[in-house]
Amino acid sequence: MRDEGQNAESIERRVFVRLWNSVWRLVSRHSSSLLLFMVFCVVVGVGIFMMGDLHTATEQVQRMYAGSVQGLRRIGELQYEAQETRRATLYALTTNDSNLQVEYADQSRGADRMVTEGISQYLVEARSASEVELGKRLQRDWASYLRVRDEVLAEILEGSIKEAVDLDLTGGVPSFDRVRQDLEEVKRLYDQQASEQLTVVDTSSRKSIIRLMGVLCFTLLFASASVWAIQRSKMMSAMKLAKMQMDFVASVSHELRTPLAVICASAQNIADGVVEEKDQLAKYGSVIRHHSNQLTELVNQILLFASTHEGRNRYVVRALKVPEIISAVMMNTRAVAEQAGFAVEEHLGADLPPVNGDFSAVCQCLQNLVVNAVKYGGNHRRITIRAFRGLRDGDRAEEMRISVEDHGIGIDSSELQQIFEPFYRSPVVAAAQIHGTGLGLPLAKGIAEAMGGRITVVSKVGVGSRFTLHLPLAKALETETIGAQRVAQV
Amino acid sequence: MIVASAVLLLEVSPGSAAGPPASPAVPDDTLAIIVNQSNTIDDLSLKDLRTVFLGERSHWPNGRRITLVMMDPGLSERKAVLRDVCHMNETEFSRHFLQGLFTGEVFVSPKTLSTSVGVRKFVFNVPGAIGYLRASDVDGSVKVIKVNGHRLDEADYPLRIEIRASK
Repeated sequence: MRDEGQNAESIERRVFVRLWNSVWRLVSRHSSSLLLFMVFCVVVGVGIFMMGDLHTATEQVQRMYAGSVQGLRRIGELQYEAQETRRATLYALTTNDSNLQVEYADQSRGADRMVTEGISQYLVEARSASEVELGKRLQRDWASYLRVRDEVLAEILEGSIKEAVDLDLTGGVPSFDRVRQDLEEVKRLYDQQASEQLTVVDTSSRKSIIRLMGVLCFTLLFASASVWAIQRSKMMSAMKLAKMQMDFVASVSHELRTPLAVICASAQNIADGVVEEKDQLAKYGSVIRHHSNQLTELVNQILLFASTHEGRNRYVVRALKVPEIISAVMMNTRAVAEQAGFAVEEHLGADLPPVNGDFSAVCQCLQNLVVNAVKYGGNHRRITIRAFRGLRDGDRAEEMRISVEDHGIGIDSSELQQIFEPFYRSPVVAAAQIHGTGLGLPLAKGIAEAMGGRITVVSKVGVGSRFTLHLPLAKALETETIGAQRVAQV
Repeated sequence: MIVASAVLLLEVSPGSAAGPPASPAVPDDTLAIIVNQSNTIDDLSLKDLRTVFLGERSHWPNGRRITLVMMDPGLSERKAVLRDVCHMNETEFSRHFLQGLFTGEVFVSPKTLSTSVGVRKFVFNVPGAIGYLRASDVDGSVKVIKVNGHRLDEADYPLRIEIRASK
């Protein structure tokens, strides 16, 4: 149980490390794009913030206009209509013509209806307790005045002018004065609200300006920092590439110089007549041929990488038998392995299905892995090649896995992703004077991906490395021509 | 007279828009007696009506002073009231009031209005007012009272405007 728990924890840690590495790799690879995206997000965010601020300011102004300015206009109308109510009533006093008196009474009632509606509207819109109280008081006083006004109108229409005037003086005038005072108070309240709202809008505007300035400064600084970071990132990438290219040139020069020196020395010895006997001559010829082959192999590898990288390579994909592939790889690498004193073991699973791929390309890919195993295999001179079925990570489909395992110096986990980058040479192997171009693994990876597969690696420093080529199984006997970047049915 | 009737109808039309007629079943030539909505009177006999319209009664039972509302001379509604309620012609009616006011026997001088809308609004504004209207000119702002215990839509209702006679 304890072991199972530890295993689960270990798996979780590995998954987390793998995920973190993937994210970090993605971030490193697309740092400029990510920075630009972040700048875009910040600019959009600032834009939204500014729009929100403007919207708030507009709302405040609208609220002020609706609440106070319109209120003041309405109260002005109320005052006018209240005066109209009274004016029309008093005009009825000036004539004996009943038709005109009725008309004035009608005008008075029309105006009083508008005042009553205005007061009701004020009460509906009243928010504070003081507004409600004032509105109710105004409503009461207005109703009280209207009662007197109705009596006065009735007296006027009946022809009792004296009684009408008396009633208006004793009841109408004081009632109307109370209404007028109420309306003045409402107006004063609106004035006060308008002034408060104006203060709020003013304060809010000041705050908005300060906020906007702050945000703009932040955006400017952020954008400048981002541009600087992007430029720096590009410069660092360019410097890294230049360094890798320099390392590559130095490495290739070194790789070229050693066999060339041997060939030159051998040729010089033959030219100087140092070598006279036939056996010795044959030996020198063999040395020259061996180093010439090395040179050719090196040049071929560089050319192959260049053509793969530019997408000029075309592969003829067909169903391949795995044992044939392994056999060809074994044959092609036997000399290198034997010369270095390595024993190569092969373990092939039973009933291996055919895989899809270009024969020579797949062989080249595996040969690169074997040559690497020889180079970095250390003192434990044993290489194991295995071929077996497995399940793909994503869709759980069956695939073929061919692994090349050594027991050499191993690779640090921090370098596992970098080793597939072109021209990359680990500082450890450079210090150990192990020569190479930094193209073998990128070339193998490019070939694997062009075949619809991939290469994975598991390694531990001081223990060894296992590179696995994953290839899709052949569904039918079909042949395809695949460019490095695209697939075309033939 | 035909012209006068036509003018009356034209003037009544906008006023009638203020409210629906008393009842669709009431014939158009029926003359309604109207009082203010606050008046407690519901029914008057023709005899009481005559007393009121001749100014011989000054106050309602609720204490409000009676204000008599008449339409302009020559209009068919006024003619119907003079004929069926006052039993007088125009001259006799004028003379009655001149004489009555002089002697003190008449307490109320009638208010004269030129349109049915004016009559209706006057009665609406004055609590003690009483007037008359063609049934189709009546709306909810005034109260229609029974005459001799009969409603407007009853066959025995006694007050009709004789349109044919006016022609």
